[in-house]
Amino acid sequence: MIQAQSLTKHYGSKTAVDAIDFTVQPGKVTGFLGPNGAGKSTTMRMIVGLDRPSAGSVIVNGKPYHEHKAPLREVGVLLDAKAVHTGRSAFNHLRAMAATHDIPTSRVHEVINLTGLESVARKRVGGFSLGMGQRLGIAAALLGDPATLILDEPVNGLDPEGVQWVRKLTKQLAAEGRTVLLSSHLMSEMALTADHIIVLGRGRVIADASVADIIASAAQNTVRVRSPHTAALAALLAQDDVTITNVEQDVLEISGLTVTEIGDRAAAAQISLHELSAVNASLEDAYMKLTQNEVEYRTGDASSHTEAEVAR
Amino acid sequence: MSTQTHQTTQSASVSPFVSTGSGLRFSGLLKSESIKLWSLRSTYWTFSLVVVAALGLAVAMSFALSPETAGFDQATGAVIAVDSAQMFVIVCTIGLGLGQMIVAVLGVLSISGEYSTGMIKSTLTAVPDRLPALWAKVIVVFGFTFLVGLFSVLSAFLVATPILGSQDVTASLFDVDVIMPLLGNVLFLALIAVFSVGIGTIVRSSAGGIATVLGIILLLPTVVSLFSLLVEWVADLMPFLFTVAGSEMIAPTMVESWEALLIVLAWVAVSLGIAALLLKRRDA
Repeated sequence: MIQAQSLTKHYGSKTAVDAIDFTVQPGKVTGFLGPNGAGKSTTMRMIVGLDRPSAGSVIVNGKPYHEHKAPLREVGVLLDAKAVHTGRSAFNHLRAMAATHDIPTSRVHEVINLTGLESVARKRVGGFSLGMGQRLGIAAALLGDPATLILDEPVNGLDPEGVQWVRKLTKQLAAEGRTVLLSSHLMSEMALTADHIIVLGRGRVIADASVADIIASAAQNTVRVRSPHTAALAALLAQDDVTITNVEQDVLEISGLTVTEIGDRAAAAQISLHELSAVNASLEDAYMKLTQNEVEYRTGDASSHTEAEVAR
Repeated sequence: MSTQTHQTTQSASVSPFVSTGSGLRFSGLLKSESIKLWSLRSTYWTFSLVVVAALGLAVAMSFALSPETAGFDQATGAVIAVDSAQMFVIVCTIGLGLGQMIVAVLGVLSISGEYSTGMIKSTLTAVPDRLPALWAKVIVVFGFTFLVGLFSVLSAFLVATPILGSQDVTASLFDVDVIMPLLGNVLFLALIAVFSVGIGTIVRSSAGGIATVLGIILLLPTVVSLFSLLVEWVADLMPFLFTVAGSEMIAPTMVESWEALLIVLAWVAVSLGIAALLLKRRDA
C-alpha cells in the first residue's frame, strides 16, 4: 500500500508535484496516468526516496521507504531502463543488487528465467535493445519478491508478446495481494491491465477512481448515425444538452441521446437512417477529456481540442 | 474501442501480500560493492596497469640507477647518494607514482560511472539510507587498492633483488627502513583511491572528477611552488598539500611523519565528509 499526503516537490520555482493525496491499494493494479511533465515520475521517485519531498510525505507498506529493513523486499521499482551500469552484464547487475539484501543467486536465476533474459544474461547491458533493458529493469524490480511494485512505463519498447506478458504478470502479482502501481501512455493497454486509475495533471490529482468510473464520468457515450439527410436530422435533434458533430459526409456523432431516442425521432420525422450504432467511450477518450487543459507540452495541432475546450 | 471487464470487487478481497526474507546487511553491501568493482573490465585494466607500471619501472630503474645517483635533495634538487635500503625503496615505489594517477581515476570512476549510467538509482533504492553504500564502496576500493599496491611493491622487490644484487646492493624486505616506507607508499596509494571516491561523489561526473583529482595531485604542488617564488609564506603551505604530505609521511623533511599522516587523513576526511553530506542531501 502506498499513501501520499500533501506530497509536494518543487524544482526551483517550478512545482512538479503540488500537494497531492492518494492511496494505492493492495490487491489491484493501479494505473498512473498523466501527460508528460505531470509529475508521475517525480512522484514515483519520491516514493522510493530518490527525491526528497519539498513538503508532505509518502509511506509504503506503513513506513517511509528508507525506514524499511529490507527495502527491496518491500518495493520493487522500475524507474527507467537506464538504471544499470552499461559495462556490467545483466547477471552481475542482478547479483550485485541481490547481494545487498543477501538474496540468494538462485533467485537471480529465477528472475532471469521469468523475464526471458537467459540468452543475454552474460552480455554487457550496454549492447541491450530497449526491450531487453526493460526486461532487465523488471527482473531487478522482482528480485526481492516485493509486496509493492512500481513500474514506470514497463511496456515501453517491449514486443507484443512482452506487452501481453507484463499485463498478465501485473494482474497476477496484484491477485496475490500485492500493490501494483503502473504508469503508461498506452491507454488501450492500461484499460486492459488496470483496475483503478489515478490521473495526474500539472502536479495535481485530477482523477482517482476505478477504470469504469473514470470512463463513465469523463467521456460520454456517443451514437453514430449515417443518413442521407444529416442536415435535417441535426436540426430535428438539436437541443441544449445534445452535441452533434458532423464527422464525415452523411455521418453524425451525437452525444446526449440514446440510440432508441434517435431512432424513434428519426422514424417519426420520416428521415431514413442507414446506420445507427452506439459507440462506447474508451479510457483514451476519458483521459483526453480529463487532461485537456492540463497538458504541459502540447503539440501544434489546434483543431483537435477546440471543440472540447468550448464544451468545458 | 469496446468496454472492458473489471474484476475490482473480486481482487480487493485478497489479503495484502506481506514480504518475508533477508534484509539489508553491511556485509551484503561489501559483497555487492566487490561484485560491482570486479564485474567491470576497467577494474582489471587499471589494476593491471598499476602492477605493470610498478614492475616495469622497478626493472628499468634497477638497471639505470646506482646508490650514488638515485637520490636527490628536495631543497636543492642536487643528486645525492642513498644507502641500499633507500635504494630499494626508490626502485620499488617509483612506479607507484604512476599508479597514483591510475587509482585516482579508478576511485572517481567507481562512483561517477554509477551517476553517468544511472546505476546510482538502483544503488540508492537498494540502500535508501545511502551512506552505508558509500562506506561499503570506500572500504572495498581501499581494500583492493591496498592489496594491489602491496602485490606491486612486493613483486617489484623480488624483481629488483637480483638486479641490484649484481651491483652488490642488498637489503632485507623486513628491514624497518625497507618495509615501513613500502607500506607507507601502499597506504598512501589506497588513500588516494578513497579520496577520489569522495571527489567522484561530490562532482558526479567522470571528466570533472578526474580533472579535480589529478589537479589536486599533480597541479597543486607545482602551482604552490611557483607562487612561493613570488610570495614567500606560500612555501609554508607545501607540507599541507595532499601529495606532498603523502611523501612527507614516508620520508619526512618538513614535518614529522605522523603530522604528515594526519594531513593526508584530513584530506581524505574532508573529501569523504563533503561527499557523505551531499549524497545524503541531494536528489539522486
